[in-house]
Amino acid sequence: MEIITAFAVGLLFAIDIFQTLRRNILRSAIGLVLLASAINLFLLSSGAYNGIEPAYVSETGSVQSDALPQALILTAIVISMGGTAFVLAMINIISTRYKTRDMDQVNGLKN
Amino acid sequence: MLTEHMILTPVLIPLIGAMIALLMRRTYRLQAGWSLATILVSLIVSIWLLTKVWRSGQPIVSQVGGWTAPFGISLVGDPLSVLFVVMSQFVFAAGIVYAMGSKDSVVRYPMFYPLFLILATGLTGTFLTGDLFNMYVFAELIVISGTVLTAVSDDRHGTEAAYKYYYISLFASFFMLIGIGCLYAAYGSLNIAELAERIAREDNRPLLLAGITFLMATFMVKSAVFPFHFWQPDFHAAAPTAVSAMLSSVVVKLGIYGFLRMTTLLFVGHAPMIRGFLVVLGVIGVAFGSFSAIGTHNAKRMLAYSTLSQIGFILIGIGWGTPLAVAAAIVFTFNHSFIKSAMLMLAGYLASRASVKSASFEVVTGIGKALPLSGILFFIGSLALAGIPPTNGFISKLLLFRSGIDAGQAGTVLLVGLAGLLTIFYSMRAFQRIWWHNPPAGSKVKPGGDHLFAPIFLIGMVMVLGLWGNLLVNLARDTGQWLDNPAGYIQAVLRR
Repeated sequence: MEIITAFAVGLLFAIDIFQTLRRNILRSAIGLVLLASAINLFLLSSGAYNGIEPAYVSETGSVQSDALPQALILTAIVISMGGTAFVLAMINIISTRYKTRDMDQVNGLKN
Repeated sequence: MLTEHMILTPVLIPLIGAMIALLMRRTYRLQAGWSLATILVSLIVSIWLLTKVWRSGQPIVSQVGGWTAPFGISLVGDPLSVLFVVMSQFVFAAGIVYAMGSKDSVVRYPMFYPLFLILATGLTGTFLTGDLFNMYVFAELIVISGTVLTAVSDDRHGTEAAYKYYYISLFASFFMLIGIGCLYAAYGSLNIAELAERIAREDNRPLLLAGITFLMATFMVKSAVFPFHFWQPDFHAAAPTAVSAMLSSVVVKLGIYGFLRMTTLLFVGHAPMIRGFLVVLGVIGVAFGSFSAIGTHNAKRMLAYSTLSQIGFILIGIGWGTPLAVAAAIVFTFNHSFIKSAMLMLAGYLASRASVKSASFEVVTGIGKALPLSGILFFIGSLALAGIPPTNGFISKLLLFRSGIDAGQAGTVLLVGLAGLLTIFYSMRAFQRIWWHNPPAGSKVKPGGDHLFAPIFLIGMVMVLGLWGNLLVNLARDTGQWLDNPAGYIQAVLRR
């Protein structure tokens, strides 16, 4: 299980960084969303990680996962959801104001 | 018991004030007045906390919800964080005063004051929290409120600048999360005091260096340190004046706070490495910021680039790392917030009086002939930026150079001293163009504009801190000594 998680985190990071660097603003936003999930997966594996074991178990002495990273991820998910909605709103305004979806055309700020 | 929980108030008062201000969104005057009252109460409370902490020399620690330190979330008001809180509340109060007198249409936006207060909450929260993950949450609060405030700016390109900033600070947040993850995987704690204790005990766990690197990258983005500075001039120039004055003066100090904590508390074992890096970045920042400021054609952008070089000076102070140098960095931080916010407000004032609403030199050339008062203020502000006597900028530079010579770094002092001379060049050039040149034919000065109360207050503070700097210097010196002994912080939080 650990090895699958490790590969999944690595692969997700690779895809997301490629995607965020695209010129199309919508694709780039998709990359940002995926990047958040890659990081959440990384945070999950940073705790005492026991694969599919749950965080809380009723019987004592059995194997259990660390609950703290899961709480952290919950916060991070909520924040990144708000952030995604906000990014999409900004993309909406930018694409109507500049009449483009190419990042290189959004260059109104001059020195 | 009561004093302990008073440390929560600088965070809670603006937060609750923002919620109540939201209810007043239909009555603009009431909302603005309420916001000012909120921030003033919060300022008074934080000054009271500062005197309390300074007198006793011990931090005020509050464990939220009564859970003891490593498990619960602790808020720590040690001399450093309380001093930073007082600094930010002062500037935020001035910012609200400026916004109340501003003619921008953005201040009429019903969410403006609530978001402004949320920005203040986020900043005080990051300074006061004793938990790394909490710091991330508060930093995210700053990012979102700052971005929204810029996106609704009167400037047509505000949204573009906000979009750029949001992307880069989202990356900073991700870096911070990865750094937190690395440290948690290596040491199993997120409480700063406990983390510091465990790292001091065993500082060669595999993921530690990765954690340090990612946290450094985060704070570098937050403070717009040299290689990560590119978003900053755009963002600070496009934001509404009241907001850009906050962003460029106190919000960039978040990274400075982070670096101070990293070198004096969290990673004491690796501090020499981090410090060496900071000195190099600082020298590059001073030179690069000054040269870029010379090359700009817009007063607000010039000031934003000047922030880059002033942050460089502070980083050099942190990098030298002696208690005196750290004290000098703290004095510099404090003074720079007042100078830079006043200067940006003056640039915004000029833009509000110009025929086109812009601080670009083409538009504001010669506009100052009709506005002598702002000229005097701008002149004093320029002196302070350059570090020339009766102002507080002189004290901060003197202290910094003195600490550098004591630390045996005369070469670096000479280098940054020369680069710092460029400050006089660009700020005086701006002064000349705006107040001495003749305006182009046919240009008119608008009759009404923003009010000058806030810049007058801030420049007054600049003079007061320049003439009677003893109090601040003593405070900073005690803080530098306190930071020299990380065991004090750890013991106060963990109660061992």
